[in-house]
Amino acid sequence: MARFFIRRLLSLVPTMFIIVTLSFFLIRLAPGGPFARERDLPEAILQNILKRYHMDEPLPKQYLRYLGDVIRWDFGPSLRYRDRSVNEMIDTTLPVSTALGLTALSLAVILGVNVGIVSALKQNKWPDYTAMSVAVVGISVPLFVMGPILQMVFAIWLKWLPPGQWLSDHGLKAIILPAVTLSFPYFAYIARLSRASVLEVLRSDYIRTARAKGLKESVVIVKHVLKGALLPVVTYLGPALSGIVTGSVVVEAVFVVPGLGRPFVQAAINRDYTMIMADVIVYSLLLITANLVVDLVYGLLDPRISYK
Amino acid sequence: MANIDTTQDAVNEFNQYVKPVSLWADAWKRLRRNKMAVLALWVVGFYFLLALSAPLLQSAGILHSYTEQIISHQNLRPSFRPAGELVIESLELRIAQLEENLASREEDSNSTYNMATGFDFAPAAEIEFDDGEVDEGEAALEEVTEEADDTYYGPTYSDSVVDELERSKAEVEALRGSIHTDPQHSKVYILGTDDLGRDMLARTIYGGRISIMIGIVGTLTAVLIGILIGSISGYVGGAIDNFLMRFVDIMYSLPYMLVVIIIMSMVGDKGRGSIVILFVAIALISWLTISRVVRGQIISLKNSEFVEAARSMGAGTPRIIFRHLLPNTLGVIIVFSTLLMPSFIMQESFLSFLGLGVSAPQASWGTLVSEGVRGMELRAWQLFVPAISMTVFLFCMNFLGDGLRDALDPQSKNRG
Repeated sequence: MARFFIRRLLSLVPTMFIIVTLSFFLIRLAPGGPFARERDLPEAILQNILKRYHMDEPLPKQYLRYLGDVIRWDFGPSLRYRDRSVNEMIDTTLPVSTALGLTALSLAVILGVNVGIVSALKQNKWPDYTAMSVAVVGISVPLFVMGPILQMVFAIWLKWLPPGQWLSDHGLKAIILPAVTLSFPYFAYIARLSRASVLEVLRSDYIRTARAKGLKESVVIVKHVLKGALLPVVTYLGPALSGIVTGSVVVEAVFVVPGLGRPFVQAAINRDYTMIMADVIVYSLLLITANLVVDLVYGLLDPRISYK
Repeated sequence: MANIDTTQDAVNEFNQYVKPVSLWADAWKRLRRNKMAVLALWVVGFYFLLALSAPLLQSAGILHSYTEQIISHQNLRPSFRPAGELVIESLELRIAQLEENLASREEDSNSTYNMATGFDFAPAAEIEFDDGEVDEGEAALEEVTEEADDTYYGPTYSDSVVDELERSKAEVEALRGSIHTDPQHSKVYILGTDDLGRDMLARTIYGGRISIMIGIVGTLTAVLIGILIGSISGYVGGAIDNFLMRFVDIMYSLPYMLVVIIIMSMVGDKGRGSIVILFVAIALISWLTISRVVRGQIISLKNSEFVEAARSMGAGTPRIIFRHLLPNTLGVIIVFSTLLMPSFIMQESFLSFLGLGVSAPQASWGTLVSEGVRGMELRAWQLFVPAISMTVFLFCMNFLGDGLRDALDPQSKNRG
């Protein structure tokens, strides 16, 4: 187990290396640059600016310099906002996005699994039908439709929750709408997934054995069914997290959340090289680590998987 | 089986004639039993028909133009009445408001004025990019309308109200005169108009055309690349398989919408919004899942007897892959395609919503929704019309996909 863990941890290094390299050259090879906007810039000044950011050097040298910086977790200055470094931006926005993402993910998993179990146990009765109809809606309605509609109903018409703004103004209430919006599609998918897998596990032999032993129904469900049924849900956590990361870009735009998403889109539009790179690196690192954790949890849940 | 079909040669173990049922006929029978899937099929068919026939409908005069801007018709609510009447009605409402304000103003000139319901005010949840360069034309237009509003708050407040009152009255008079002669004013906007006076119905249908087209082309590209990579990887195996699948793994660990965002923003102002680049960007990355699925299927089939038989008869690798293996995986591929299409449409709208997708004058459902969000407090129909049309389509595609999965692959384990 420990050896597997270390090996997986080490395998993150080449993956990250490839991601950094790919995105570095992908961004640099495109025509235009962060300073192409300022139209009447005299050549000499442009040269000076480029020199300041070491962008007058040949590309391989820039690349090596950047690689060295990244290893020291230094993303350099923002090319667009001269007064801020990329690290400062990430330090202020990442906690917000993480809080939002984690809340959404836990909401999706907890609600999704519970709803899935209830639907499976009450198969083809009204709780099942209601839950599964809600789930289909959740899968079909895009985030950017769901967000504004929830905002309109709960913030503007009913005035129960704040329409935007983050924790500073409204406390924990402000996280409810964005987190619910963000978690809805994943809640729906997890509910469907866990319903299907609970139904399958319920039909399996070891459940019949457990019941034949005279175990209480609650024990059968919690100790036997749940453990087997959670496996597909755990597998889905990786894709779900990656979806939540991307989805947060839209949700942050709709609810004016000061997270990582807005500066990312902004940087992409502005060609703020250092900012884009830093965002991609942070997001990928989050995803890869999450996938690693998912793999480990999977092993803990399923004794048939052995790590060699 | 009571009816003995003498035209068929197939015989079952009781020496009775049976009519052979192909996989497709069998699947079709199962699909037809699924009421929701059949309904979804009809709705999807209707959307396709509408999207295909939009230019025809427009040239026949049934549908208004989706680009024609009639400034006097801006922000009309959905109604079956002609536009001229609605404009007069809203102008009269405005006049009444202005007169009331003027009267209360004269009564108490010191009280702070609160404009009850203006025609344009910024919604709380307006999505603003710091840069302000997202859409210059639109920004300029907003500036103009804001300017008009700003004057009311100026020091010569009552003067400008009187001015506007006069202007509105003159407009109403002019409209009354021309309402029966000018064909423009007899237009009926069933689903209302947007903030530039364009017909929402036409815009939603044309937006659907773009969205559905992106869905179809993206799915086709992804499926073709996925089949190619997946079948080579699965059939050839060995080092090639290893290399291709590691590549897929790494691509998987990339936050892929973010890569698409980078690609879309990289192509520059000239290329931004170009549909072709959007296709390429989305399709380049989305073949991953399908290639894995195809690879798995091919691996599980490649050692079966019928492949061995084909090989023993001298069939080459391409022939085995395309004539023997792929037809057997077609069911799975079809199911995946129907589920892939709504996800493409969602991704495109996602980009358009962020201002990185399709650009004006073309519009997709995503563009329409993001335009609608801006004024949703006052003009809810501008959000709901495209949002509901889009959701219904996605809903039906998902149902159809589920139905097809159950029909083509009844033993499927991963029924989510």
